[in-house]
Amino acid sequence: MNLPVKIFTCYLLALVCFLPLSAPAYATIDDALSFALEAATPYVKEGFTVREDYWGGDLAVKQKKTIVHQLFKGNEYWFWMGTDIASAKISVHIYDSEGKLAEAEAWHHKPHMAAARIVPKATGSYYLVVEVHSSPEERTHWALSYGFR
Amino acid sequence: MKLIPFFRRQTPARTVHAGGRALVRTGVAIGLAALAWSHGATLHAQDDPPKQIDVSSLPAKIVDEVVVPVPTEVFGVLDKLGAPNWHHVLRKIEHSGTGERPQVALLLGSVIAEGFIAVEAQEPEEVKEIGRRVLSLAEAIGVRKSVISRTSSIIDSADKKDWGRIRVELDGAAQDVRQAMIELQDEQLAQLVSLGGWLRGTEAVTEVVQKNYTRDGAELLHQPVLLDHFQSQLDGMNSRLKRNTLVAEIRKTLPDIRPLIEKREELSKENVDKVHAITRDLVKAISAQES
Repeated sequence: MNLPVKIFTCYLLALVCFLPLSAPAYATIDDALSFALEAATPYVKEGFTVREDYWGGDLAVKQKKTIVHQLFKGNEYWFWMGTDIASAKISVHIYDSEGKLAEAEAWHHKPHMAAARIVPKATGSYYLVVEVHSSPEERTHWALSYGFR
Repeated sequence: MKLIPFFRRQTPARTVHAGGRALVRTGVAIGLAALAWSHGATLHAQDDPPKQIDVSSLPAKIVDEVVVPVPTEVFGVLDKLGAPNWHHVLRKIEHSGTGERPQVALLLGSVIAEGFIAVEAQEPEEVKEIGRRVLSLAEAIGVRKSVISRTSSIIDSADKKDWGRIRVELDGAAQDVRQAMIELQDEQLAQLVSLGGWLRGTEAVTEVVQKNYTRDGAELLHQPVLLDHFQSQLDGMNSRLKRNTLVAEIRKTLPDIRPLIEKREELSKENVDKVHAITRDLVKAISAQES
């Protein structure tokens, strides 16, 4: 095998080895979003409009992140959180502008998913706290979508 | 570790001491069950989020991204409060779509917001026209490809009067256009699309509330977090954009809205009128043929 062929073969091997490793890294938030949207599916049938926009990122175990979001009194909202890791335990909770827990209900019993519902008592800013409680991975990708009716 | 809170909840220590060995055995059994089903125990532990958090020192880092609500989120509440005449709020789009890029971006956002008003008014022909305008404005700004399927769907759905689908596609069109701009390294222009939509949406809301003032209707304007978000984006824009006449005017005027909507209980009819006048003038400037 001459040198250029050797180099090309090495390059090809490196590509074949690294592509599968790098591709999931890009795909993970999208996967997390897919699960968030899957969690939303039954609620769409109940008349919830799901937003196209969403939040996403990655968290270490026991790490929380807060999202400030505008909600309007008169609407009902569901927030759906998804992760690409089936065995990860995640949660989302909603607090009002004074820091009081404001959600009407929340669940996190299904793999890949968690959700919280709120019927805001006032129009204004609310805090959405997302958390990874446990995960086999060092960093866990997450996505949060919401719907209203 | 997660077993402990679960065990304590099921069998408080006080009861164990008072009840003797049988209760201890029950406690141990529950504990073992919890250990065996650690998945369940984890869920119980997570079932109890703190009832109160200290917002002055949040337990978590704040995510920078702000998701701007779609006009429908507010329009829907107004519909529940009364029966607004959306036909009166709906406006013909007369701008040709030519102009500087910041103006086209603002206009694009405002036209998408107009689409939501047309849906409220259930005007299929207006919706179709708006779909075509969205496409031509997207073309003017170099992101036509990103919205072709959305605008086709808007036009098709208008024929079928599928208002729910149109709302989804309008939201999607705004999102796709912004994403395409970000991919073209035009993130700040993408921000102007959101701002244009918010201004037109707020103008429409104030128009409805003005005509039939209620405290609940006026409260919808209490959006300080969004105003701060837009203001900080405008302040962070590059000097070329800041020098743009239209962007400069919005940047200068937006802080006037903040004190009017800051306190929920002070959202008087007078304040609604003032917010309406400010947003109406800014939308007029966006829609003017030359900025």
